[in-house]
Amino acid sequence: MILGDLLGRAVHDSDGVKLGRVADARFVVDGAPQQLMAEARLLGLVVSPHSVSSFLGYERTGVTQPWPLPRMLRWRHRGSFLVMWEDIAVMGESVRLREGFTAYSPELVGGPE
Amino acid sequence: MKLVPVPPIAGRTLDAQLHLLDRQALDNDGVPVTTVDDLELSGPEPGTEIPEGTPAPVITALLTGPVLGTRIFGGRPPSSRLIRIPWKDVADVGVVIKLGVSGDSLDADWVERWIRDKIIARIPGGRHDPR
Amino acid sequence: MKRILGVALGILTAIGGFVDIGDLVTNAVVGSRFGMSLVWVVAVGVVGICLFANMSGRVAAASGRATFEVIRERLGPRAGLANLSASFLINLMTVTAEIGGVALALQLASSVHYLLWIPVAALAVWLVVWRVKFSIMENVTGLLGLTLIVFAVALFLLKPDWGNLAGQALAPAVPDEETASSYWYYAIALFGAAMTPYEVFFFSSGAVEEGWSIKDLIQSRINVLVGFPLGGVLSVAIAGCAAVVLLPAGIAVTSLSQVILPVAEGAGKLGLAFVLIGLVAATFGAALETTLSSGYTLAQFFGWSWGKFRRPAQAARFHLSMIITLLIGIAVLSTGVDPVLITEYSVVFSAIALPLTYLPILIVANDPQYMGKHVNGRPVNVLAMIYLVIILAASLAAIPLMIVTGAGS
Repeated sequence: MILGDLLGRAVHDSDGVKLGRVADARFVVDGAPQQLMAEARLLGLVVSPHSVSSFLGYERTGVTQPWPLPRMLRWRHRGSFLVMWEDIAVMGESVRLREGFTAYSPELVGGPE
Repeated sequence: MKLVPVPPIAGRTLDAQLHLLDRQALDNDGVPVTTVDDLELSGPEPGTEIPEGTPAPVITALLTGPVLGTRIFGGRPPSSRLIRIPWKDVADVGVVIKLGVSGDSLDADWVERWIRDKIIARIPGGRHDPR
Repeated sequence: MKRILGVALGILTAIGGFVDIGDLVTNAVVGSRFGMSLVWVVAVGVVGICLFANMSGRVAAASGRATFEVIRERLGPRAGLANLSASFLINLMTVTAEIGGVALALQLASSVHYLLWIPVAALAVWLVVWRVKFSIMENVTGLLGLTLIVFAVALFLLKPDWGNLAGQALAPAVPDEETASSYWYYAIALFGAAMTPYEVFFFSSGAVEEGWSIKDLIQSRINVLVGFPLGGVLSVAIAGCAAVVLLPAGIAVTSLSQVILPVAEGAGKLGLAFVLIGLVAATFGAALETTLSSGYTLAQFFGWSWGKFRRPAQAARFHLSMIITLLIGIAVLSTGVDPVLITEYSVVFSAIALPLTYLPILIVANDPQYMGKHVNGRPVNVLAMIYLVIILAASLAAIPLMIVTGAGS
């Protein structure tokens, strides 16, 4: 599967209610070790109810400068959440989540550094 | 909806749009190879139900080439037209993506090599080192 | 001693390299129609380009990434591609204008028709881009461009009424023969001439070319903060000469010969010789910078290997794209379209495109992943946000004003 196909797709819960669109995909580098970097496995998808183009990622980092841009962009992406791979039922023309999925905070915890 | 804080994760996290896509890829000599235009995952089959307990897909390759056009405008090029940089060639991800191999060994570099051989090397001084 | 020489060289190169065909034509047109009443725009533009160049240089030194890589990475491929198309086309327009400027300057010096000079100019630009070392290219064209100081010299020799000139500059008012719309249209044009996007592409890519690191930033900051304002003074001198000689006589600026007429009047044959050298050097230097910028923008967006510090064989697509750019420029100029007209449009379109380039740099200059601890300080951010508003206002007002004033006529 190609990621570009997935980004921007509508996300529904198990009852068919639209929750938003796929804004990003989060991976964890903890898979089978390779020669250089371990495998990167899909942790989950970041879903944004309002805007697809999360082009600056402010809703996930704590950057506050240059004021007031991050605040404006965070408002545009208010309500974004992370769903884990285990809660995803179908990924195709749209994404459907399993019943009783958990909505996690999309904050980046200790990023790539 | 109420958001639950993410449980601690062992291992680096990478967000595709924030950290991988549209980043410059450099080969092991620091020479730019291409920008990452898309990512190829190992699964799942699009549109099919995912059985519970299926292991998560992994990134198999960085993609470049015509996939940039489809990423912007929609659609998907056939698998044979995709230019891949296998994930096993990736050494580090930071401000740029560092590859552990030389650009010469990568498919992703073929346009550069073609133009070099057909055009640039034919013009006098093309191989002259400016330093 | 060597340090002082290095610093002096940097400053002098920045002054000499500041003026290009856009500044020459726009300042002369403005001086001949509005006197000194738009000088404040040059001041605003100079502060803006200092701010802008500083940030993009710091981004390049701290992260090793040049402007267009940053633009694509921050904006994503769709917005990045739109940005690339706009920036590349406007850059192409500027390349054409600069090569046309070189040809016109050579025509003035030699009485050989400018159309014959065009392929010569383009070939010369290509040879320098192909072979000459980056720092030598910068230093030679920058130092030769310093001869444009003759505009300031000529202004003194013309013995103008300084009080009158100062009055026009410090208490700006729209002259009776002009409308408010054309006043603001030319304000935007002058702003675009001072803050051309290619300056930033070139400056940040040049930082990577010369391998700047954080400790080189002090030198670059001095170059920018001393050199650019002095370059701005040169621009004002060009406007001043036009205001003193062309405005009272009602002479309109339609070609380069009117631009240098005040110098001939004030400083005679010797002044004319200097200004012709300066004209060729400034436009040639700018033609080099814009041609390289077109290569930089394409290569950085698509991730190609680029840079004059690499052998051409190792940056094949970079060099090929510049060859194609020059060929397109020659083709457009060969149709006989007036290079001065292209210049007048290119500065306004540059003003329109400024927000596209400016916003991503501002964002990245605040990103700790790129900058480490060298993110923007608070005062810089405040100034930058003020300029963001100014740039957006100029960009949005440009097209309506262009329509209302018929592109300033």
